[in-house]
Amino acid sequence: MKYESQKVAKLYFTAAIGLFVGQILFGLILGAQYVIGDFLFPEIPFNVARMVHTNLLIVWLLFGFMGAAYYLVPEEAETELFAPWLAKLMFWIFLAAGAATVLGYLLVPYATLAEVTMNDLLPTMGREFLEQPTITKLGIVVVALAFLFNIGMTILKGRKTVVNLVLLMGLTGLAVFFLFSFYNPVNVVMDKYYWWWVVHLWVEGVWELILGSILAFILIKTTGVDREVIEKWLYIIIAMTLITGIIGTGHHYYWIGTPEFWQWWGSIFSAMEPIPFFMMTVYAFNMVNKRRRNHPNKAAVLWALGTAVMAFLGAGVWGFLHTLAPVNYYTHGTQITAAHGHMAFYGAYVMIVLSMISYSMPMMRGREACNSARAQSMEMWSFWLMTISIIFITLFLTGAGILQVYLQRFSDNPMPFMVVQEKIALFYWLREITGFVFLLGLVLYIASFFVGKNEPEATVELAK
Amino acid sequence: MEKNKWPPGDLVIWFFILAELLVFGVFFAAYAFTRASNVELFNTYQLTLDRNAALINTVALITSSYFVVRAVAAIRDNNSKRCFHWLLAALFMGVVFLVVKGMEYHHHFSLGINLNTNTFYMFYLSLTFFHFLHVILGMIILLAVALKARSGGYSAAEHTGVETGASYWHMVDLVWMILFPLVYVMR
Amino acid sequence: MEDKKFIRPCSIIFGLLLALTVTTWFIGTMGLSGLQVSLMVLGFALIKGQLIGDYFMGLKQVSGFWRWAVTLWLVLVGSLITYAFNITA
Repeated sequence: MKYESQKVAKLYFTAAIGLFVGQILFGLILGAQYVIGDFLFPEIPFNVARMVHTNLLIVWLLFGFMGAAYYLVPEEAETELFAPWLAKLMFWIFLAAGAATVLGYLLVPYATLAEVTMNDLLPTMGREFLEQPTITKLGIVVVALAFLFNIGMTILKGRKTVVNLVLLMGLTGLAVFFLFSFYNPVNVVMDKYYWWWVVHLWVEGVWELILGSILAFILIKTTGVDREVIEKWLYIIIAMTLITGIIGTGHHYYWIGTPEFWQWWGSIFSAMEPIPFFMMTVYAFNMVNKRRRNHPNKAAVLWALGTAVMAFLGAGVWGFLHTLAPVNYYTHGTQITAAHGHMAFYGAYVMIVLSMISYSMPMMRGREACNSARAQSMEMWSFWLMTISIIFITLFLTGAGILQVYLQRFSDNPMPFMVVQEKIALFYWLREITGFVFLLGLVLYIASFFVGKNEPEATVELAK
Repeated sequence: MEKNKWPPGDLVIWFFILAELLVFGVFFAAYAFTRASNVELFNTYQLTLDRNAALINTVALITSSYFVVRAVAAIRDNNSKRCFHWLLAALFMGVVFLVVKGMEYHHHFSLGINLNTNTFYMFYLSLTFFHFLHVILGMIILLAVALKARSGGYSAAEHTGVETGASYWHMVDLVWMILFPLVYVMR
Repeated sequence: MEDKKFIRPCSIIFGLLLALTVTTWFIGTMGLSGLQVSLMVLGFALIKGQLIGDYFMGLKQVSGFWRWAVTLWLVLVGSLITYAFNITA
């Protein structure tokens, strides 16, 4: 860490991890409700738990991205952050708005929440992932603008690197596409059409730029490989991401009232979406193999490599599994989607944020380069526990999905939805149990911040 | 003659080329297999395409590629100025391609043809337009290379950039070599 | 010296490519159709592709995987198209 103002990232990362815990707890509640239908009813109905689970995920990832940007941008630009106070102010505003929104979900019925937040003035509520009250959405826009201003000014006054520019592009795209959450046409086809401009163009477009630039930063720092080499890869990866990702939006436009050509465009281009992820895997391992030095923060390198592999598997392979129109005809909205969602979000976005935290947090907490060997070893345990859990959760959900598709849609005598749900309950139980292992991993992860604090930093030899 | 381990230009562009070829390959196969169940439709509407325009465009791309070859040869000879001129010539052929293709599109659009007209036009417009965008991207790359060449940014010793741009441009040409017969001629 | 060795074959290839293109165009304007004709046209296209890969892209001077990258693609695409045209004939 070279600049004092980078430290604001610590606030953001702390909040991110806190909300991550909340997300997992609600995930466990949800998982239980799959098999015990009235679990915690009427206090926390399924739809509310689901809303909290997904919204918390998005919010904590946003905290993570912002934290990552506040840490990374000054270091790349070689200058202090333009306005550290603004970053702190926005942090508290964002946290308060987020907390108030989640409390709103939990404490009052959704309809009441819509009423008290005056949703009818500018109706934006009631759509999956964009359930936030309009006023929260406006708050998000304000926070995002202030954040972009802060980051943009920092880049403007400092050194302009490819990593910074790609990150800025990704973050700007994130803010711009969020604006479509305010567009809420009455026509349900149009509604879905633009809804995907937020949802898809975030996770399969601009977020990947953010992922790419953060990964590039960590690789530059930990491997000592020439910046030019890493930047070249970054260019190609983002070009490929944008070509396949933007037109790949078409894979959401099958049979929803949109023109038929989307079935072709969606199938062909989204089938190519694994390519940039594959390139990312190849390049991450390549860079680590070509490293000029052994960085003592082994945990951060492990997270970074893990990101590259799991993003390819979760986003690339599991996405491809059901992206072709003839396949999606059967798999649409089944547990296959849930399987893909879990591994893709974890592999691509959770892991990149945790990589960045792993790399930067020791330095923000006063270490020279990394944590003690004991803390790192615990962190790596948590890495394996969470990663292997998510692999199994994905496999169980895939099993559930395949069975569901067959029984409910493909077989000669299709069964009703609820009958099928009972038949696949075993998979849901296994998923729930694995969820607890994931939680254990998360607990270890948090514990790793507190162990070995008084021990010396790991050195390259020690960490070997 | 001794062989090189790596293709000319930056290796990263070759990964990109490979990925691009894959996308086009899938697109071509999709065309061919969809045609298989709509032979009559495809054969009927293929006749509405302008083969003369396609000939001009094929020649334009081949010529352009050849000019780029000459540009690479020039810089290997340490002649930046000649390299720049060949690249300009190549770019000019690119413009010819865009203009001719634009006229074809204008013709189709003025007849009210669009992606929803039928499966053949869907493929024709998608495939050619996707390629059209690649021509534009290729030209942007060539232009950047040309400008750098003019300011003496390359030499006989170091001209990876020229070879990188050239390789990408040849790929754009290569893809059209399949596209042209597949969409315009084979029936 | 290096120069001539590179340009001369490429100029010949350039001529070949033009000739094959005009032939393809001629077949098209004649309105010829049928499996044999289509496959012949496809064959010309594959040859053209190979020539571009070998000479213009310079893969002939490369060894290992990249030497055959374009060829591999041509074979794949060529066989898929051939197969698709065969099942209708």
